[in-house]
Amino acid sequence: MLLSLRWLSRYVDSSDLDASRIADDLTMATAEVEGIEVSGEALRDIVVGHVVECGKHPDADKLSLTKIDDGSGELLQVVCGAPNVAQGQRIAFCRVGVNVPVDGKKLKKGKIRGLESLGMICSARELGLSEDHTGILVLDTEAAPGTRLTDVLPLSDTLIEIDNKSVTHRPDLWGHYGFARELAAIYRRPLKDALEGLRLDVPSRGDTVPIAIDASRGACSRYCGVVVRDVVIGPSPDWMQQLLVAIGARPRNNIVDLTNWLQFDLGQPTHAFDLDRLAGPRIDVRFASVGESITTLDGEARTLTTNDLLICDGNGPVALAGVMGGEGSMVEEGTTSVLLESANFDAATVRRTSMRLGLRTDSSARFEKSLDPALADLTARKFLAMLPEVAPGARVVGPIVDPASWAYEPRHVHLRLPRVSSLLGVAIDEPAARGFLEPLGFTLREKGYGSFDVTIPSWRATKDIAIEEDLVEEIGRCFRYDAIEPVAPRAPVEALHRDPELALDDSVRTVCAYDLGLHEVYNYSFLDDALCERLGLADLPYVKVTNAIASHLSRIRRDVLPSLLGSVTHNFRGRDDVALFELGNGYRPESPGESRAFADQDGDMRERQLPLEVHQLAALRVVRGDEHPYRRLRGDFETLLARLGVHAADVRVPTTEEAAMLPWMHPARTAVFVGKAGEVLGYVGDVHPRTVRALELDFAVRKGPTGGAAACCLDLRACLRAPTVAPRYVPVPRFPSQPVDLAFLVDDTVRAGDVGRLIEDANPKFVRRHQLFEVYRGKGLPEGKKSLNFRVELGSDKRTLNAEDEERYLDRIRNLCRERGFELRG
Amino acid sequence: MEDQLRSIVDRAHEAARTASDVAALTSVESTFLGKKGELTLLLRGLGALPKEERPAFGKLVNEAKVRLEQMLADRSRDLESVALEAALGGDGFDPTEPGLEVAHGSLHPITQITRELVRVFEGLGFAVARGPEVEFEHFNFDALNIPASHPARDTQDTFWLSDGNLLRTHTSPVQVRAMERFGAPLRVIAPGRCFRNEAVDATHEHTFYQMEGLMIDRDISVANLIHVMKTCLREILGREVRIRLRPGFFPFVEPGFELDVHDPFGTGEDRWLELLPCGMVHPNVLRAGGLDPEEWTGFAFGLGLQRLVMIRYGITDIRDFTGGDLRFLEQFGRV
Repeated sequence: MLLSLRWLSRYVDSSDLDASRIADDLTMATAEVEGIEVSGEALRDIVVGHVVECGKHPDADKLSLTKIDDGSGELLQVVCGAPNVAQGQRIAFCRVGVNVPVDGKKLKKGKIRGLESLGMICSARELGLSEDHTGILVLDTEAAPGTRLTDVLPLSDTLIEIDNKSVTHRPDLWGHYGFARELAAIYRRPLKDALEGLRLDVPSRGDTVPIAIDASRGACSRYCGVVVRDVVIGPSPDWMQQLLVAIGARPRNNIVDLTNWLQFDLGQPTHAFDLDRLAGPRIDVRFASVGESITTLDGEARTLTTNDLLICDGNGPVALAGVMGGEGSMVEEGTTSVLLESANFDAATVRRTSMRLGLRTDSSARFEKSLDPALADLTARKFLAMLPEVAPGARVVGPIVDPASWAYEPRHVHLRLPRVSSLLGVAIDEPAARGFLEPLGFTLREKGYGSFDVTIPSWRATKDIAIEEDLVEEIGRCFRYDAIEPVAPRAPVEALHRDPELALDDSVRTVCAYDLGLHEVYNYSFLDDALCERLGLADLPYVKVTNAIASHLSRIRRDVLPSLLGSVTHNFRGRDDVALFELGNGYRPESPGESRAFADQDGDMRERQLPLEVHQLAALRVVRGDEHPYRRLRGDFETLLARLGVHAADVRVPTTEEAAMLPWMHPARTAVFVGKAGEVLGYVGDVHPRTVRALELDFAVRKGPTGGAAACCLDLRACLRAPTVAPRYVPVPRFPSQPVDLAFLVDDTVRAGDVGRLIEDANPKFVRRHQLFEVYRGKGLPEGKKSLNFRVELGSDKRTLNAEDEERYLDRIRNLCRERGFELRG
Repeated sequence: MEDQLRSIVDRAHEAARTASDVAALTSVESTFLGKKGELTLLLRGLGALPKEERPAFGKLVNEAKVRLEQMLADRSRDLESVALEAALGGDGFDPTEPGLEVAHGSLHPITQITRELVRVFEGLGFAVARGPEVEFEHFNFDALNIPASHPARDTQDTFWLSDGNLLRTHTSPVQVRAMERFGAPLRVIAPGRCFRNEAVDATHEHTFYQMEGLMIDRDISVANLIHVMKTCLREILGREVRIRLRPGFFPFVEPGFELDVHDPFGTGEDRWLELLPCGMVHPNVLRAGGLDPEEWTGFAFGLGLQRLVMIRYGITDIRDFTGGDLRFLEQFGRV
């Protein structure tokens, strides 16, 4: 929204204040200023010219050939097409090489019907001053040729651009008058009345149009209508056109310009109907019926719903209330009788209609802020009072019809100065409070002990000032927040509550990045349909977005790993390995999460439920190269568990049901880690060959040429619930360890974990550590067999072990092997 | 015979001194101290002396022998050291040749800024709280004084879910969740992921990261808010900063402010940058959290994390944060 300083100065004297100061003060006390513009910039190089000679163009009837004195000392020959050019006139002259204000294009030397033309005599439209292009602008001045036009005409204006978002809560600030009130309060200057200097004669009886309001849903609290006859449509006064042009509005004709001007003046939209084109004539304010439609001023036919409020005449809809007028009844050339509408429409109703139709107008933008209904009558009266100047000859032929009989029931708010002082952190006394509040229209009545009964003016009572804190804001902004000295809070010293899940997240991230060497990725919570299809996940249940950013992004992910898999392919350009991790949430619609009861709009308690939220770590390694990354990632996973102190009670392959929910994992080459109660802590394994191919990572299919893909997932909430293993001191062994290498030849189906247990069981007292360092299959071994090669450290707390001890231990191993059908090699 | 001893000792010392390497020294040793060495032979010829002279002369020869042995040992150490020093030189060592590359990981820049903020605010006595990303309408709107008809619900461009819940549009729902859970007094921050239905371009994202801050106690004032904001910004930006509060409208605070920082990049530029929205917690929000606004007051603020990271590193495209591109992520490996 643009504010014109010339416009503001109609209501508050601000001639001695420069624009940047006003902009700073408004920013600090009222609303955000986005910038300052000086209008008339485009006119900087336009000068006053004197028409020294004026004759006919020899080869064209409608053209004049003139000699212009532009103060340069040389008379310039200029061809002019305007009918009103005459010798002796002072005119606005655009020299060759100067930009024409209306379009900013540089004026070139011209040749018109064979004669050279060295400049242009401008019309008001060419100057960007109004729409008038009927002739050149003749200046009422004796100024010397060459004088700047802006020194002669009051054209220059300074515009302050207000960020509309910063005044959404201030229905009183959608016109110049509201801002003038703010300036008056800021600079402690008198504010002129909105009708000052205007005389108003409205007959108490006469010609009216009946108005009926269907107020059943409170959608129209007020509708003022008044009839004006003997209107002559023509241009509006220059000053009005100039102000409208300055703030970016296009002048049209006197009646439309006046309604527009009032909208930017008082903030109240009004609408002028051509009375002769209203059937009845009568006005009905009602909601649309099913299937009804209207063609709006912009020529669009619009189908309506029963929530759209209409202005109708005897035949049907003539305007979308508060949004836009209809095509058939607009004021235009030839209109002689006008019905002025100045009404108040419900904010939510206007907003709903304007949003649904995608039709946002200056009018709807104002109504949806909840305008003060008092403005409707004030604006109608100002319209009538200005008519004599804007449309000379027009007659107000009857009273203002205002059937809703709305009256402001003043709102009161209790204000306690001690509370104000305590909330702001500065002492505010009564003179200060009055000094801030009264210029804004509030009245204070003392109730004793520093408390007051504050009456709220009507223009601040709609969705704005309702509670004491709102008045604290009024006082605070007038005092200036930047004038408040910082004060350290007095607060007790207390131990911080530390959220164990956040602490766990933090450790997991540190280990993954700085210990395991993985890179952290953030993926969207939305699962792309294309990825979902590729990975074969489309049949799983998802929480869905009803208004997705794009139709393929409606699914909320269940698991983090699929998104992470989606980050692999594009990273493989120019690389041989990708190692990533991500912490995030997944949502499971089939499982209940947090459940709460909340009061709905009618105050009834309603049960609400969130889907189950899972909190996961996902990580993966994909390599081109000789070795499949499974064992590496398995090591990462085990390291992570060890760092976190999480102990898995068992490791197994997934059940059929589990595998079905993890279709991206190899069902037979995935290790599921489970806790004591059988709960799943996480899993690590090969990525499913189908997934690998779907991601176009064919090199990573096991038994493919080279390389591979492995992935893992840790359920962080399950880890939090699992008992953790704290480090415990064990004395450093005094007697040396004795390493023994053992190679077990076993069937392919035998699990390394079982062999490990056998190694321990053979002598739990002597086995200090054991480690599987190689799994060998192939050459030299029978089909279906593998060799599990362990390094075992034997040792005792009591003495150094000797050869006999080792031999006894090996005997036990051999016996156990015989029982299980294993063979100890070498 | 004493002359003979003196002559041997002189020659032996001279030979040891002039020996140029360990091999020469070894031959000196065998010439004088070996089985047939001169000093050894002299000692053996002791029998030729008169009986009474033997002990004194024997002592002389032995002392000479010990001195010579000591000298040879010293000299040997010196020569070894010289030889080692000589061997250290050169052999084409290039100090600019880099080491073997170690595969190192990285934390996402949003994680890093979050950690930094958490450290700063924990130092000021703020605990860290969290809330779900799929959230009840109640906590995201109603409890924050944004009733169903409020225009703020449109401007927030909410992602609605098929089950009637929503993707939280800000971290502010954690305000009420934290009040419910911990009561007052309360000092918490809540970093997290939020969503708004906005078209994505270089400066807009539908997924973004915020950090909510909330302090509630008896008699918390705007003056306290200014103090805490100044303190935390000094910690975050690493220098004293000028800030200013000006009116700003957010339904869940009253009064509400925009906080601007002067010369945010410390370049000496006379410019205010709009950094964060904040305000005094609205009485309706306190009530929704089960607190009596007559007894407790507080302030809240919200910080956009992507913006902070973009300012810090000069990142120009907000889409990089969720691209999962290693060429972006690897740049933030610093601890």
